[in-house]
Amino acid sequence: MKKIKYIFIAFSIIFTGCDYGDLNDNPNQPTDVPEILVLTGTMLADVAINASHIQRISGMWSGQYKGEQSLYGAIYGYEISTEESNSSWGYLYNGILTQNNVLREGLADDLLIVGITKIVEAHAVGTACSNWGNIPFSEAATEGIDDPVFDSQSLVYSQLQTLLDDAIANLNSVSGYSLSEDIFFNGDVTSWIETAYTLKARYYLLVKDYPSAYQAAQNGISNGARSMKYYPSATTSGDQNLLFEFLSGSRSGDMSGNGTYLSDLIDAGSAISRNNAKTDEDARSKYYYFDEDGGNSVGVASAAAPMPLVTYEENLLTLAEAAARTTTMTTALGHLNELRVFLASGAAFDLVDSGDILQYDAYDAADFASGGIENMDGIDDTRALLREIVEERYVSGYGTFIPWNDARRLRASDLDISVPFPLNTGAATAHPERFLLSQDELNSNSNAPDGLTIYSVTEVNQ
Amino acid sequence: MNKKLCFSMLILLLSSAFIFAQKSVTGTISDNDGSPLPGVNVIEKGTSNGTSTDFDGNFSLDVENDQSILEITSLGFKGIEVIVGDRATINITLEADAEALDEVVINALGFQVDKKSLGSTYSKVEADDARSAGETGVINSLAGKASGVKISRSNGDPGAGSNIQIRGANTISGNSQPLIVVDGIPFVNETANGIGNTATAGVSQQSRLNDINQDDIETMTILKGASAAAVWGSQAANGVIVITTKKGRNKDKVDISYSAVASFDKISDKHPLQSNYGQGSRGVWRQNNSRSWGDKISDRTGGEDVFNTSGQYFEAYGGGTHYPITTKNSQETFVDKNFDQVFGTGYSLNQSVSVSGAGEKGGIYLSFGKLKNEGIIKNSFYDKINANLSASYRFNDWFSVKGKASYIKINSNRIQQSSNVNGLYLGLLRNAPDVDIEDYIGTYYDNSGTPTENRQRSYRNTYGSKTNSAYNNPLWTTNELKNPNEVNRYIMNLEATFKPIEKLTLIARGGLDNYTDVRESFFPVYSSGSVQSKGLYSIENRDLKNLAFDFIARSNFDLTDDINLTAMLGYGHINRERETLYSEAREFLFNTRLKDLNTLSTIENVESINSKSFYKSDRFYSVLGFSYNDVFLNLTGAYETFSSSSEGVFYPAADVSWVFSNMNAFEDSSFLSNGKLRASFGQVGIAPARHRFDTTYETFTYQDYSDPVDISYYGGGFKLNDDQGNKNLKPEIKTEFEVGTDLRFFDNRVGFNFTYYKNEINDVLLDVSLSPSSGFNNQYRNAGKLENKGIEIDFNVDIIRKEDYGVSVYGNFNNNQSKVLDLAGTEVVSLVGGSISSVAIVGQPMSVLYGSKILRNDDGSYDLDANGFLQKDSELGVIGDPNPEWRGGLGLRANYKKLHFNILFETSQGNDYAERTRFILGNFGTHADVGNEVTPAVDVLDVNGNVHPAGVPVRGNIADFGAGPVLLEQSWYTGRGGGFGSSPINELAINDASWVRLREVTLGYTLDSERFRKSKLASIDFAVTGRNLAIWTDVVGVDPEINQSGVANGFGIDYFTNPTTQSFVFSIKINY
Repeated sequence: MKKIKYIFIAFSIIFTGCDYGDLNDNPNQPTDVPEILVLTGTMLADVAINASHIQRISGMWSGQYKGEQSLYGAIYGYEISTEESNSSWGYLYNGILTQNNVLREGLADDLLIVGITKIVEAHAVGTACSNWGNIPFSEAATEGIDDPVFDSQSLVYSQLQTLLDDAIANLNSVSGYSLSEDIFFNGDVTSWIETAYTLKARYYLLVKDYPSAYQAAQNGISNGARSMKYYPSATTSGDQNLLFEFLSGSRSGDMSGNGTYLSDLIDAGSAISRNNAKTDEDARSKYYYFDEDGGNSVGVASAAAPMPLVTYEENLLTLAEAAARTTTMTTALGHLNELRVFLASGAAFDLVDSGDILQYDAYDAADFASGGIENMDGIDDTRALLREIVEERYVSGYGTFIPWNDARRLRASDLDISVPFPLNTGAATAHPERFLLSQDELNSNSNAPDGLTIYSVTEVNQ
Repeated sequence: MNKKLCFSMLILLLSSAFIFAQKSVTGTISDNDGSPLPGVNVIEKGTSNGTSTDFDGNFSLDVENDQSILEITSLGFKGIEVIVGDRATINITLEADAEALDEVVINALGFQVDKKSLGSTYSKVEADDARSAGETGVINSLAGKASGVKISRSNGDPGAGSNIQIRGANTISGNSQPLIVVDGIPFVNETANGIGNTATAGVSQQSRLNDINQDDIETMTILKGASAAAVWGSQAANGVIVITTKKGRNKDKVDISYSAVASFDKISDKHPLQSNYGQGSRGVWRQNNSRSWGDKISDRTGGEDVFNTSGQYFEAYGGGTHYPITTKNSQETFVDKNFDQVFGTGYSLNQSVSVSGAGEKGGIYLSFGKLKNEGIIKNSFYDKINANLSASYRFNDWFSVKGKASYIKINSNRIQQSSNVNGLYLGLLRNAPDVDIEDYIGTYYDNSGTPTENRQRSYRNTYGSKTNSAYNNPLWTTNELKNPNEVNRYIMNLEATFKPIEKLTLIARGGLDNYTDVRESFFPVYSSGSVQSKGLYSIENRDLKNLAFDFIARSNFDLTDDINLTAMLGYGHINRERETLYSEAREFLFNTRLKDLNTLSTIENVESINSKSFYKSDRFYSVLGFSYNDVFLNLTGAYETFSSSSEGVFYPAADVSWVFSNMNAFEDSSFLSNGKLRASFGQVGIAPARHRFDTTYETFTYQDYSDPVDISYYGGGFKLNDDQGNKNLKPEIKTEFEVGTDLRFFDNRVGFNFTYYKNEINDVLLDVSLSPSSGFNNQYRNAGKLENKGIEIDFNVDIIRKEDYGVSVYGNFNNNQSKVLDLAGTEVVSLVGGSISSVAIVGQPMSVLYGSKILRNDDGSYDLDANGFLQKDSELGVIGDPNPEWRGGLGLRANYKKLHFNILFETSQGNDYAERTRFILGNFGTHADVGNEVTPAVDVLDVNGNVHPAGVPVRGNIADFGAGPVLLEQSWYTGRGGGFGSSPINELAINDASWVRLREVTLGYTLDSERFRKSKLASIDFAVTGRNLAIWTDVVGVDPEINQSGVANGFGIDYFTNPTTQSFVFSIKINY
């Protein structure tokens, strides 16, 4: 018995003695950082959601890009799997929403930061909502909720309007300061407020609330310099235009901007060329050009080309479309011509050849009257103008989700004025209407809906 | 810390044996060679009075009187009885008992134990048997040698690591490899990808167990069951391989031995490629096209191609000049020539010299090994040097020490492989048949005549106009890329044995295992890939220090007249520190072959990453072995705390063994010569990964699809990790039951071992997928549950056993069945990612293959499209099971006088394999499968619905998926039937890869006749071995044993992975 006692004593002394202190703390990563260091990352996540893989897929599904081979060849033929949504889905929730919680908790008193986080979030969530339809939002990234519910698409859009209103209220109460972590506007309050309004207009447009869209856009981005764009510095991979990186690396040759409906539209020699007496798209055609050989040294697929996210062009064209639908043709035409002035100014895109001519003369009502240069087929004047505005959105929206969003928005209600890009393969009978939900979310979230295909129309486009 | 105190208390605990007697006898017990024998039992007959010899074979015992008889027994030796008489000193030589020797095994702590007393499974692999495999690495030499032990090589690269799996997979995310214990001290075996390499691309890595010099190995024992391994706690769930190394023991003379093993290797399987169609697409020849779906080569006019010589061209350093081609006329093809330019005969020469001897006070063993191995792929090599010194010294009767120092140095160069545009096979097998790879480097002249030197030329860049060739010319990969590594490893072990009192042995032992592995990777400017094309150099310095020490107290005494107890108490401590420093330089300032970070690039293009990890553990363990007549019971308990676990864990184990053949009923049985029943239960664990308690902030690069955006270029910053921390981590616990029997029949002519085992692994650690919308993607949790069960059979039948000749048949069988029982709601856990991944899914065996599958109707039939083609299911699913239904080995051993012969077949049945290389080569149009021309008998449709009329020859294959014949042509093979990612039906890449292979066949001769011995040499052994000479399988072009991801839990996938080899091996061993 004595031995057993000794054993017990020995063991109890020893076993309470093993304490490893902080040995298991992570020696390579911090558990605490100044919150402000998190801000830039949310913006990069926003870029990765809006200007990367899913944007390119949306472009392939709306006549803007052509998938040539490999994965992009298949996706171009509408063969896509749920995995393609995984990255962007994760960037949205962890990359933006989780980080915004950190920022809003830690920097609650800095309303500039708080306002910016709301706008970045509204931008990314809006993209997600338009692409995937119903998505988790009201319960997303909330401590204690493992499986957030999926909010309806219309509910998300309305929540985004509230979020943007909050952001605008926050920002109206502060004066900006130089904020190097803000890669979009360096803390400029006005630019952020205008971006918020343009986003409000975008989301009203997507739910076809044209009067509200018009109203919001009037406070939207007021000049080209205030467009929200991603400006890569081009020096090295990781810091370059994403299209350029994609085209120049191991995926070289997988996708081109060659032989697409869009390239034909702006090709002077094509049967569907949109050039006319007042318009010469040659310069823009060169700016947009890239082929199977990969990235270019100039133009949209060059290392330093800025990538549009929320732009002055979009705002003007939202004004134009909403005006054409809700006010007068003259007003709408005015907005369209503002854009044409901007295009002609050379500020919208770089000239690939310095000698190229930018011709975007102002349109007048006669151009849209039956037999006018924009209405050769003799349809209703306003429809003709709308058709031109939508087509201009299709061309100016290159590199954004606008062409894809418009196509889906107008397919049921306004097919006559939508851009008639063809199906990519004879085997298909309909255009895709959405992206598949992320496989990661499908795997884990019991609230995720089943049975959606890329042809399932989202709520607001029905 | 109280450890010292505790330890002294432990000693006190065991210091309680007292003996009273009248006469004292001392002596030394040694074997035939004069080597002292430790642990020999010396018992005074008819009493419970006894002792055992110390480390140096010495004993001291007080006996009744001169008439006392000493019973002297030792494992592996014939027992004897000696009358004490008037002697005070008795020195005894024991005769080895050849049969009984088989009954000695080495346990998990490195001690010799009597196999019959163990209720757990121990598989011994004879060092000579392992050597005869002719492998350059010790791991591969274990293949096929023991049931339930699966050895899979990553590929045939020199020095490439191999996966060891014992009784199935025991973990999802944790270490999957068994613990290696050499001379009682853990020996680090890892196969680490590191920072600069990924599991599915890059170069193959080495398994550190192969660092060992095979010639130094004396015994190898594989402990498969949990009960045998429980003393090692959380290190032992994958089993334990116990190795002992040679020591100096011969007192009479110096033993000198020299051995040399030379092998000649060639590729074991070749992917068949087509030579009928040229580069291009849709039947049209196109220069620089990625595919070979071009024109029919025999339709070309023949003769010289027509070149455009007006502008750009490429002047190869080898002499050739290459222009853009305007008309392709030449019918020449280069498939075999291209292959032979990068593959050849590999060879290895493994030499070893050892010198050993012993004196009264100690022994010494000194060895030196040198391996030189050149691979079948040009410029791949693996050179290794081993130096080893092992010495022992006995100061006095109660104190002795031994020590070992080893140094290992490895230099190698590896070849890029797998899913990697710089990979050898990717560039070679996708290369168009009508493009010669010969002129791979030279000067490119652009249209204005400006030269660029050192430009790569490849099939997608045939006149060097592009800076990025998309895929490397294979010769560029072998000749211009450099992937050397250098390992320097130092191992020092010390052991001190005290015998403070009778019946108590105290052992203190410790070891330092330290290595640095410096890996470099050099991609000169104009390599393939967006980053590599501008030049990329990386150097990764991996440093590991593993310090382990144990204090063990052992005692053996009789509890009662019938019950003997062997008690052991121990404490073990492990301290492991790992530090990795990785640096790379990108975008070289000039095109150079110099490898220096700061010369190559500007500061913003030099990046460094360092990573550290720390781990400590403390274990207290006890093994109590009771014996009562022929029944043996072993109770093991280990309590372990360690830094990566939030709590301490107790690991119990028990095993029981009953040698029933000693019962009277079998006493005179000529049928059963030996029979044992055994049963065991045990728990072991797998440690959680280190440093996972907290949710950290991380720097990051967002990259949805090959378009990285890196926070470090934007002033730096962090994000809260998408992997959530977990403060409640604890080890995975594997609980195993096994029952079995070891039987010998007909005077030991037939041996048969049978084991049934079942284990369940609870609290399996995995990155549980969270709903990403919750804000986090994963959390590392104790969440899963797995099980394995199966039977193991090993047998040996001596068909003929004569003085001069014998024939025996031997074999083994295992049918491990694994099953994933729970993943905490996570549907799919990826073990190895990719278009086809190897995953864990509830209800499925571990590591099933997962990917896009064929769309089926509810009744299982194919849901075909309007054109009669298979369609893809939009959801991913299980498409194959790479686990065999059973595995086995069957061999025959024969000897005639000094000539011996051995042949071993190994098989794996019912295992699926993802032939992704073949699948994707269909896409590229280079595989022989897609080089056919068919003439449809009736009008057939292709996948796009185009009609191909009857009677008109067309490239492709006719298939019938159930709706009549259809034509598989380019659109099919580049789409559903062979595309990338999840876009095709990846299920079509799965094949049944059941195989049978001739693992080895050896013919050897031993020269040790009396006449020969007069030459002063003791013996010479010669042997010729054929290794992996034949394989019978449905898989074409690749050995289904290879695995894209190397040593990993995921397996069964090939994707442009470097091939395996088959070899002829010649060996000689000279003993002086």
